[in-house]
Amino acid sequence: MLRIYYRFWQVNWYEQWQYRANLLMYLAYWLVSPVVYLAVWTTIARSQGSVGGLTANDFVTYYLTLLIADTLTSDITVHLLAYKIQDGTLSSELLRPVHPILTNTLVNNIAFKALVFMVLVPIWLVLVLLFQPDYSMVTIQSILPAVPALMLGFGINFLLGATLTCLAFWTTRVYSITEFYFALAILFSGQFVPLQLMPPLIQRLAAYLPFQFYIYFPVSLILGRVPPETIAWKFALGLAWLAVAYALFRLIWREGLKRFSSVGA
Amino acid sequence: MSSLEARSPESDAITVQDLTKTFKVPEREAGFGAALRSFVRRKYTPIQAVQQVSFHIGKGEIVGFLGPNGAGKTTTLKMLSGLLHPTSGQARVLGFTPWELKNDYLRAMTLVMGQRNRLSWDIPAADSFLLNQAIYRISDQDFKASLKELDELLELSPIMRKPVRNLSLGERMKCELAAGLLHRPKVLFLDEPTIGLDITAQARIREFLREYNRRTGASILLTSHYMADVTALCERIIIIHHGRLKYDGGISELSHRIAPYKLIGVALGEVRECDLSCYGTLVNAENGDGKQYIQVEVDEVTTITAQILKDLPVHDLTIEDPPIEHVIEQAFEE
Repeated sequence: MLRIYYRFWQVNWYEQWQYRANLLMYLAYWLVSPVVYLAVWTTIARSQGSVGGLTANDFVTYYLTLLIADTLTSDITVHLLAYKIQDGTLSSELLRPVHPILTNTLVNNIAFKALVFMVLVPIWLVLVLLFQPDYSMVTIQSILPAVPALMLGFGINFLLGATLTCLAFWTTRVYSITEFYFALAILFSGQFVPLQLMPPLIQRLAAYLPFQFYIYFPVSLILGRVPPETIAWKFALGLAWLAVAYALFRLIWREGLKRFSSVGA
Repeated sequence: MSSLEARSPESDAITVQDLTKTFKVPEREAGFGAALRSFVRRKYTPIQAVQQVSFHIGKGEIVGFLGPNGAGKTTTLKMLSGLLHPTSGQARVLGFTPWELKNDYLRAMTLVMGQRNRLSWDIPAADSFLLNQAIYRISDQDFKASLKELDELLELSPIMRKPVRNLSLGERMKCELAAGLLHRPKVLFLDEPTIGLDITAQARIREFLREYNRRTGASILLTSHYMADVTALCERIIIIHHGRLKYDGGISELSHRIAPYKLIGVALGEVRECDLSCYGTLVNAENGDGKQYIQVEVDEVTTITAQILKDLPVHDLTIEDPPIEHVIEQAFEE
C-alpha cells in the first residue's frame, strides 16, 4: 500500500510541477486576504493598544501561523475531482483496483501542499522580517500537540470536501455548493478573525463545528493559547467529526457511484 | 442464432444473459419557454441502448463486436467492464459480476478505449507504468518481464520516456495499450483500439493483439469500424443493431448467409469496353485494377466463368468473395 502512495506521489508531484504558473496565481490569490487582515488588525491594535484583549503581536503571530496552518489543512478536492465526475474521465480511475479518492485525490492534495510550501516559505520569511513577530510563547510542548491537530484538521477538511464534491454525481453546480462551504469555513475556522473576537453566539456555534480544526484550534495550540484542560475534549470532538466526515463520504460515494453507473458517463 | 448450445460454462470467460440497459435522457424543445418549463418539470425519454443481449465468449477467443454508431457496443462494453449497472439481465466475466467492481476482478481485466486515457498527460508513460505496477501489485520480476514483452511487440523504448502530451496519436495508443496490459489481464475489452491510426500503426496493433492472445490465452472482445481489424483478428463476430443482437457466429458463415454470391472480375485483352451484364449483375467496384465485376450466385460461378472465357478475349479473370464491408453493411440493414 505504501508503494501505491509513493507512486501516486511521484506522478502527482510531476504533474503539479507542470502547473507552476497556475500555482503562483493561486498562491497570490490565497495570500491576499490573510495578509490584508494581518495588516488591518495590527494597525488597529497598535493604535488602540489592543482589540478585545489581543495586542498587535497577538495578531501578527496569529495570522503568520495561520498562513502555515491553512496550507497544511486546506483541501482542493473539488478542483481535482468535480470535472472528472462531470466529464466522465473518472471512469478510467474507477477501473483501477484502488479507491480513486483515498489514493490519487488524497495524494494530489498533499503534492499540491508540498509545492505551495516551496513558494510559501520564502514569502513567509519576508513577512516575518516585515512584521517582526515575537514568537517567544511557542515551545516544543506547544508545537507537538499541534502536529496531530493539523493532521486531524486536514483529514476532516479533505473528507468533507470530498463529500461535497461527490454531489457532482447529481448536479453540475457543485462549485456553488463548495463556495458556500468555503464561506462558512472562513467565518467559523478563524480565518477572518480569531474566533474570540466573534460575537458570543458565533463563538458558541464554532466551538462545536468542524471548521475550528482547520485553523483556529491548531494555531491556538501552537501559540500556547488553548487551556490545557480543554485540549483532550477538543481532540475528542475532532475525532468525532473525522468519523462523521468519513461515514458521510462513504455513504455519498456509494450512492454517487450507483448514480454514475446508472446514468453513464 | 449461433452455436450457443455447444458451450460448457467452464470454458467461458464471459457469459451474458438478457443484458438490457435503458437510459433516461432529459429532452426539451428549443427556446426560452421550453427551458423554463423543463426547469419545473423535466421530460425524460427512455433510450433502449441495449436490449436483451445474450452471448458467451470462450477462454482465449477473439470476438469482433460490430454495429453501426449508437448500436449499443460501448454501452455493452461498459457494463461488462463494470462501469455501468444494467437495467436488467446478467453478466459474469471470469466468475465475477462486473459492476460489483471487485478488486480481484479489476486486476484480471482491462478496458481500453481509443479516446480515453489511463495515462497521465504530463508525464512520460514509463512513470504511469510504474504507478500501474504498484496499483496492480505486479512484482518487480513480472513487471520487468511484462514490460520487456510489450516493448518487443510495440517498440515502446523510444517513446515511453517522453511526456505523453508530446506523443503522436499512434504512439499514445501503443502506450495506452501497454498501460492496460502490464498486469496481464485475462479478459480485454477494446473499444476502437485502432481509431485514428495510420495503416502501418493499425497493422502493428493488430499484430500485437494476435500475439498477446497467443502468448497469454486471454479473451478479447473488440469493437472497430475497420473491417481489416476484424478480418485479421476475429473468426467470430457479434453484430448488434439498435441494441439488439443481430448475428453471432463466424465471419465466413455470415458471408454465406447474407451474401451467397461471388464476384467475378474480368479484364479484357483487346476490346476495352464490353457489356458483361448478360452474365450477371454488374457491380460498381472501383478498386482501380481496370477490371469489371459481376455478381454471380455461388453455384453458377463455374458455368459462367467458362462461358466468359469462351466468349470474350479475357486478359485476366478473378473470382472473389464479396468484400466483408458490404456483407456487414447488409447485415446491419437486415
